[in-house]
Amino acid sequence: MGKIKEYFQIAFRNLKTRSLRSWLTILGIVIGVFLIISLLSLSEGIKQTITQQLRSLGGEMIFVMPGDISNIMAMFTSGAKLEKEDIEAIEKTRGVETVLTMSYQSLAARYENEGKTVFITGLPWEKGIEIMERFQGWSLKEGKWPIPGKREIIIGKQVETEIFEKPVEVSNEIIIKGKRFNVVGILNSLGSKQDDSSLYLDLPLYQDLTGEKKGTAQMAMVKVRDGSEVNKVAEDIKENLSETRKRRIGTDVADFSVITSEKMGDIAGNILAVIQFVIIAFAGIAIVVGGIGITNTMFTSVRERTREIGIMKAIGAKNSAVLSIFLIEAGIIGIVGGVGGTILGAGLAKVIEMYGQVHPMFYFSASITPGLIIFGLTFSFLVGCLAGFFPARQAAKLKPVEALRRYE
Amino acid sequence: MPEPIIKLENVWKIYQLGKVELPALRGIDLEIAPGSFVSIMGPSGSGKSTLLNMIGALDFPTRGKVILKGKDIARLSEDELSLLRGKTMGFVFQEFNILPNLTALENVILPMIFQGVLSEKRKKRAKEILISVGLEDRISHQPAELSAGERQRVAIARAFANDPELVIADEPTGNLDSVTGKKIMEILTDFHQKEGKTIVVVTHDPNIASYSEKIVNIKDGQIIVNHKQAKEVLWAK
Repeated sequence: MGKIKEYFQIAFRNLKTRSLRSWLTILGIVIGVFLIISLLSLSEGIKQTITQQLRSLGGEMIFVMPGDISNIMAMFTSGAKLEKEDIEAIEKTRGVETVLTMSYQSLAARYENEGKTVFITGLPWEKGIEIMERFQGWSLKEGKWPIPGKREIIIGKQVETEIFEKPVEVSNEIIIKGKRFNVVGILNSLGSKQDDSSLYLDLPLYQDLTGEKKGTAQMAMVKVRDGSEVNKVAEDIKENLSETRKRRIGTDVADFSVITSEKMGDIAGNILAVIQFVIIAFAGIAIVVGGIGITNTMFTSVRERTREIGIMKAIGAKNSAVLSIFLIEAGIIGIVGGVGGTILGAGLAKVIEMYGQVHPMFYFSASITPGLIIFGLTFSFLVGCLAGFFPARQAAKLKPVEALRRYE
Repeated sequence: MPEPIIKLENVWKIYQLGKVELPALRGIDLEIAPGSFVSIMGPSGSGKSTLLNMIGALDFPTRGKVILKGKDIARLSEDELSLLRGKTMGFVFQEFNILPNLTALENVILPMIFQGVLSEKRKKRAKEILISVGLEDRISHQPAELSAGERQRVAIARAFANDPELVIADEPTGNLDSVTGKKIMEILTDFHQKEGKTIVVVTHDPNIASYSEKIVNIKDGQIIVNHKQAKEVLWAK
């Protein structure tokens, strides 16, 4: 096997002479690997972001949202709210210790004459701060917690440096919808970029600002009393909510999603697994097509070079030598395509990631790990070798006398 | 008498064309002794190429034995045969002879790669031999940049690269004008005379055959004349 280096040189030379055809074949692989790398790194990035966010949600909490979670589009577009009665129904459910209501929206804000759209979360300071500290891991990097009812806000870690051109400092003012707010505290990172790039405001002030009806909210976080069974409490909440809705004449029986943090993780995990499976299946098809391209090119090449093969065999090339040369050629096509596809795929993922950073709602990071890159390269090399195997074997099996007789 | 490099014993080669059997060789007995210069002559379709394939151990006989360096080639594996062939023999074909993607030097190096000759050594040897066929200023040229005669010289250099005992040339001058053809034959006879190489040339040109000391005439798959000429006659150019 000490001749591999020489075979590489010969294979490389052969590819170079047919450079247009080689490049076109390489392009087939580039497209496949590009799809695999970009889609996998993005979906893996989304998965990590979501898992991180779920982890930051903390222990045994129940989340209540209007709408059916299995119909995500309707959930986000319907604008359904938790009404005052709904919230009261939750509070009355046995086993419920605290209900923390929350609303959020993107609003225009100005800081130092710079306008930006920022993500604003309203939550009631009175009971909110304690729960967030205990269960969401909130802590102050600097400043102090805001006083309920005052025009004071705290900001996520990203807001401090990344949203506005000039860094935001404690006791600076941010103008939201024409109203001045005093920044009193900066949070340490919450582990999710979306949370880190939000401004936090007392819920009543938030509702003044947005015109949201008092007493309503977009979602509720429920802290369960110690010793209560979380899943049982969640079921009871759901039952109470539908009873409340039924009593209210003229209102449809709306769906509520009452889920525990554990279940939320399961749902997200399942959805992502399906998405990733579909991605791999489609990208896999692209790779197979690329591989067929290699096989085709190599078969053509074997036919064209039959006489060359005959000469090589006549001057002492073993079958394994011919096999190696052709396999290496196919492998080079594969790996060059793999390198190209990996670079393009990682590039696209990074571009999308940069776009996502400008739009906090879509924030996630693309996960381009060394493992993924090694996978992309190894995989494309293997596809190349596999696709080149049959043509190479055909070349290796040619009888020298037959190979020499052809094209004479 | 020394052991022949290659020995054909009652060799038959029968091609099957549909239901028709077409015998190309019919009971050939032939020995190529070391140090000889043999011409194989015959009209086209006489079986010369088939005979050449047998002598070159490129093909197997339908009946009879081909014995290369005392070994029946039918008993060797494909790889063993390739290695033995690469070591014992060199080939010069009529055309499409050298690999178009490799330079002159690389073409000459190639058979040495297959024999596992070390990098430094094979490069040195390839240069020497290219110089000896008069291609010192064509060493790194691609075949496309060489004339037909130069390409054939590269092929000869390659044939001698592994220092083989036997070089087989199949119509080596077939595509060349008479002056270039003569030059090629001179290079071949030089190797024969100076280094004592065994040469087998297939040709239908009596002028080329006149270089040799043994002319094998083949017709309808049989050797009909196998005469030896006196050396004095042979080298009278």
